[in-house]
Amino acid sequence: MENRWIAYLIPPFIVTLLLVAGSQFVFIQNSFYQDLGLGRTGTDLTLVNYLKFFTDSFYLKTFWITIKVSAIAALLTLFLGFPIAYVVARMKSKLAMFLLAGIVVSTFVTIVIKVFGLIIIFSADGVINKTLLNLGLIERAYSIIGTQEGVVVGLMHFTIGFSVLLLYSVVVTVPPSLEYAAQIHGASRLRVYQRVIIPLCAPGFVVGGLMIFNMCMGAFTSAALLGGGRVLTLPVLVQRTVMMEVKYSTAASIAFVLLVSVILINLFSLIAIRRLRSARLVVA
Amino acid sequence: MNKITKTFTSVAIAVGMVSAVATSASAAEFDGVTLKVATWGGSWKANIEKIIVPKFEALGGKIEFVTGSPAANFAKLVAGRGRAPFDVMEVLDAQVGDFAQVDFLQPINLDLIPNKVNLQPFQYNETYVGSWNTQETICYNTEKFAELGLAAPKTYADLAAPALQDKVSLPDINSGAGLANFGGVIYAAGGDEQNIQPGLDLMKKINATKFWTRGGETKTQFESGDIYAAVVHAGWCTRAARAGSPVMTVHPEIKPGVKGLAKEGWLGIMKSSENVDAAHWFINEYLTTDFQYEYAINSGVFPLNQDAIEKMKTDEINAKLMELDSGAISSMLRLDYSKVDKTSWIDGWNKTLTTN
Repeated sequence: MENRWIAYLIPPFIVTLLLVAGSQFVFIQNSFYQDLGLGRTGTDLTLVNYLKFFTDSFYLKTFWITIKVSAIAALLTLFLGFPIAYVVARMKSKLAMFLLAGIVVSTFVTIVIKVFGLIIIFSADGVINKTLLNLGLIERAYSIIGTQEGVVVGLMHFTIGFSVLLLYSVVVTVPPSLEYAAQIHGASRLRVYQRVIIPLCAPGFVVGGLMIFNMCMGAFTSAALLGGGRVLTLPVLVQRTVMMEVKYSTAASIAFVLLVSVILINLFSLIAIRRLRSARLVVA
Repeated sequence: MNKITKTFTSVAIAVGMVSAVATSASAAEFDGVTLKVATWGGSWKANIEKIIVPKFEALGGKIEFVTGSPAANFAKLVAGRGRAPFDVMEVLDAQVGDFAQVDFLQPINLDLIPNKVNLQPFQYNETYVGSWNTQETICYNTEKFAELGLAAPKTYADLAAPALQDKVSLPDINSGAGLANFGGVIYAAGGDEQNIQPGLDLMKKINATKFWTRGGETKTQFESGDIYAAVVHAGWCTRAARAGSPVMTVHPEIKPGVKGLAKEGWLGIMKSSENVDAAHWFINEYLTTDFQYEYAINSGVFPLNQDAIEKMKTDEINAKLMELDSGAISSMLRLDYSKVDKTSWIDGWNKTLTTN
């Protein structure tokens, strides 16, 4: 019975393989030839593009900044998204559906519009700077453009909707009766969170966190617009390498490093968490 | 019967000949021709749609656009190994060196461009015909400078004033104006195409709040108060002025005897084009006084057509913010891109000016 259903997955798998893996293969293959500029490549297979990436401090720092801003954005997004997801999941009124619909709609608003909204809010004459200046909390308007903090805010803005939807689907799988049972046995609300809700949602946090991290690692628009040319992440660097220098092989090698690093970070995270859980079960 | 047949045949031949002659008389010069033009979107495309497209359609043809920056269009060309999805293309002066290394353009028959008489001789050759230029300036907010007690800037180094920290926007090296203005800063700091370090040091000292990729960003930033000065072409400053920002331009002192920096735009015909006559026609139309003036007013570039330049002088904001003297325009710095090692410029920029 199960095998019969699996057969239905074969056509989409083939289409995906052809469209995604096929094109990626051509791109990645290009990364193993020396870049001669203007789209031209050498004829011999070589690792020179990768050697340059891993020996040049500029590329390594860009790589590190990409991981850092993505990780911070993923953690903060989870932290912000979970309370919203929890409240919406536990709502009994029809308002929950409206809120969910609102989140879905806002999630699909193009990122360029969202980022320009952020730029306006955070501009020198924007609401935030004016409020802080009026309250005397800052002496001079602060700009988020061209800062790593700005890129983190942009990435959070990009992923917060997804995170709420992801975490909502996790919270609804936790029966409210478990929370009631804990409270009946004397647990405070905080204790219920610590001992019931968060442990039961933990696998969802991990998977959701990794998905958001993956989105942030590949995000271009937020990083390009809010980085203001001063903060470079790997996707921005790939675009600059293709558009400005027309160095396809170099760009392909950067993209491949990004792809492999995302896969490895995901694998190691899942393995580490599985081992941690096993160790905790043994202790228990 | 024979007579009837002969008469019928004669009439048929006569009708056929008349209709053939009539058809050829009504056939327009570019019937069925679709000319593909690679240019920017926005006002650039709109100007062409307003002035050139109706004329081309009257001749039976159709113009389609491939919009994007010249860098993006060059990347498309490289990806297609020269098989261009367009016939004629806007080329920046900074790309001339790149095009010299590939065989993507075909010679231009200058006999088919009679409007070249409107240009100066150095503005056309057998590969390119000039289309516009820009006056790269320091655009600054006069009110904010007065508030801060700062005198009008004279050169790039004045933008490094402590009061302007985080209030200056410079062109990203990735933008269309990036190489030109970086070159201007290098020269002003005492370097040249081979010695870029003085320029990098000065750029670092200026500590721009943002490196813009599109000049329009600076207009928005002036309006929002995010910046008090920007290095940008005069056209964007005139737009900010027309929108009500209290801005003024300065043509920076670059080196003794050289004031101001110019960036040139060119048009080239793709080797793969099958619409060569139409492409020549298009370039010729680009150089008319009407189109050059329209372009200058709407897109903020500076015309090459001498009559259009004269017309520019009638506009108060242009007269105030742009250099309209032909001698002064000719003596502005123009980089020799054949001496620019783009890779090392970008490498130096990335390592010095990004927060990485």
